[in-house]
Amino acid sequence: MSWRLLAALIAGAAGAVGCFVWAAWPPTPQYRPIEICIACVGLSFMVAGIAAWLRWPASRLGLLFTIVGYLYLVPYILVNLANSVAFTVGNLSQPIYGAALVHLGLAWPSGRLRSRFERGVVIADYVQSIAFSVAATIFWNPSFGGCDTRCPANVLLVGDGSVSAWTALNRISGYVGLAFTVVVLILIVGHWRSARGWSRRAMVPVVWIGFAIGLEQTLIWGPFDLPVSDLVSFGLAQLVLMAGPLLFVISTVRARTARGALGTAIVDLEPGAPPGQLRDVLARALGDSTLQLAFRQPDGAGYVDTGGQAVEVAQPDPGRAVVPVTGADEASGAVLVYDEGLELEPQLVRLTAAAASMALEHARLQAEVRAQLEEVWASRTRIVEAGDAERRRLERDLHDGAQQRLVTLALALGLARDRAAADPELGSLIESASKEAREALTELRELARGIHPAVLTQAGLAGAIQALVERSPVATTVTAVPGGRFPAAIEATAYFVVSEALANVAKHARASGAEVTIGRRPGRLVVQVSDDGAGGARPGGGSGLRGLADRVASVGGVLRVDSPPGCGTRLEADLPCP
Amino acid sequence: MPSARARCQTGSVQPSAAVLIVDDHDGFRSFARGMLEAAGFTVVEAATGAEATETARAVRPELVLLDVQLRDLDGFEVARRLAAAPAGNPAPVAVLTSTREACDYGGRIAASPAAGFLPKDQLSGATLRRFLAEVPA
Repeated sequence: MSWRLLAALIAGAAGAVGCFVWAAWPPTPQYRPIEICIACVGLSFMVAGIAAWLRWPASRLGLLFTIVGYLYLVPYILVNLANSVAFTVGNLSQPIYGAALVHLGLAWPSGRLRSRFERGVVIADYVQSIAFSVAATIFWNPSFGGCDTRCPANVLLVGDGSVSAWTALNRISGYVGLAFTVVVLILIVGHWRSARGWSRRAMVPVVWIGFAIGLEQTLIWGPFDLPVSDLVSFGLAQLVLMAGPLLFVISTVRARTARGALGTAIVDLEPGAPPGQLRDVLARALGDSTLQLAFRQPDGAGYVDTGGQAVEVAQPDPGRAVVPVTGADEASGAVLVYDEGLELEPQLVRLTAAAASMALEHARLQAEVRAQLEEVWASRTRIVEAGDAERRRLERDLHDGAQQRLVTLALALGLARDRAAADPELGSLIESASKEAREALTELRELARGIHPAVLTQAGLAGAIQALVERSPVATTVTAVPGGRFPAAIEATAYFVVSEALANVAKHARASGAEVTIGRRPGRLVVQVSDDGAGGARPGGGSGLRGLADRVASVGGVLRVDSPPGCGTRLEADLPCP
Repeated sequence: MPSARARCQTGSVQPSAAVLIVDDHDGFRSFARGMLEAAGFTVVEAATGAEATETARAVRPELVLLDVQLRDLDGFEVARRLAAAPAGNPAPVAVLTSTREACDYGGRIAASPAAGFLPKDQLSGATLRRFLAEVPA
């Protein structure tokens, strides 16, 4: 349908209702509710037609809805026109909308009939309803229905008509119509049962409305003597008729809000969620429980969905359609495989594919950033470890080389001094050389210890901390240090934290005492150094805390400094430690 | 007639007390030997931990001067093996030594059966005699 046709339909709908109101005016008070019902039913089908056209432009449903609306309303206009030909045609054409309704139900939701048999059923229904209507009209004298001389004449009337023939024909027509309704209901239930996913959902309202109409017809034509007036049963029938188009209009409005929900659902999808979760969100938003999100296999051999099932993408199964998730990672080659019925909502499918692409791209970028970050962490740890190893090697080299030579030199000088006892001048010369050698040795030891604390390698963290505390000029107590060995980088970091903290205490804190506590928590090693000094240490304040924080971060730990002025300083390094 | 040096000796140590020097550094061993022989000790040498335990078993020195850092075992392990000598053979006095200071070994020295620690640059006959004198008879 084109925009022009849509505009014509809207104008036609408004015109038809207007005509009806004009033709039936002034209403007989007794018939006023009936006339309001008729106008509402006709209007509801026309509105549903417009909604269907807007929602599913590719479907003929809009046209079928509109046809039903016109077939329903126009006969009522004609019979009210005070013209005998119009009156006759109006009466004649009144039952035909029922066949159009059958056509609509069987063609749901694509607007196309599914098989030759169903086409036959629809044609037969049109033919039988027209044939019975013509036959009954031949015997119908308008005066049978309480229509007095004010009614126009029935131009098809033969003679004076026959009440019994007319009643019998009407009854037979009712039974035949009921039989058609049963067949059509069976076919519709069959459609519902064979459908999956979106198409199945789309069939649900049709099944309900079909049953309601079937029930109504059974009550009217079945062997029941209903204790209700004709007016009430007519009104109920109109309400049932109206339910179909109304449900459709409501579901159209809801489908619009569902599209908005798609965006929200994608935004709410937690970062790094598995693709299966993305599929579920998309399936809910799309209303297609059979939706598959499939990815190209890394080896290029076909596609696999999030449930691990192989999916044929080049030639999808019957009733399935494929849309590529463009913009997603080309290598992953994601596709959505959905129920073919959704072809009616191409915009929703496009929107869903775009949302999927965004979500996948987001996940990919996140994974990339995470991988890069992990690589940076790993390389930082490697750099620190390599530095530690290099320092260990240097200390060892100093110990094995220069220190050893200086020791030997000092011993040799000691020997020489003993032997030079006879020459006091030479003795004092050698003595001062020996003193120099010893001082050089002491300085070299301090240097080596600064490069790498041998005690850490030799005695582990507990021994090293004890040694640090013993050398500290500020009275320091160790409240707890776990025994045993930890990864070298963790031991070294914990050692440097305590060493730097105690050096700061000695240099800046003006403290009378300090305390070192190293505790073990599951997967963590927590180093705490506190003093009762001046406080006011700032992490960026050139106190070496910045470098210490970097060192702690290099092994994935966190350094916390709590140093309110005047209230001492508390340093805590929380290190990961298996 | 006892020599002047013999008169200076303390405690019950014989002037010819045997000292086993265990060190993988040849230069140090030879200087230490020179110094200790001059101080009246009888000196034997070993370059590795394995050699040290073997020599100690054969020579039964009164004192073993043990470098902490050896090529095969470390000094602590050698001290442990010397201390575990069979009953009836009094274990020698083991003195750990290193170019590093005692504090660089944390609590390991105290935990070891060695009698004590001597930084290498403070080695002399007198310091060794002090260790021998401290040992309960």
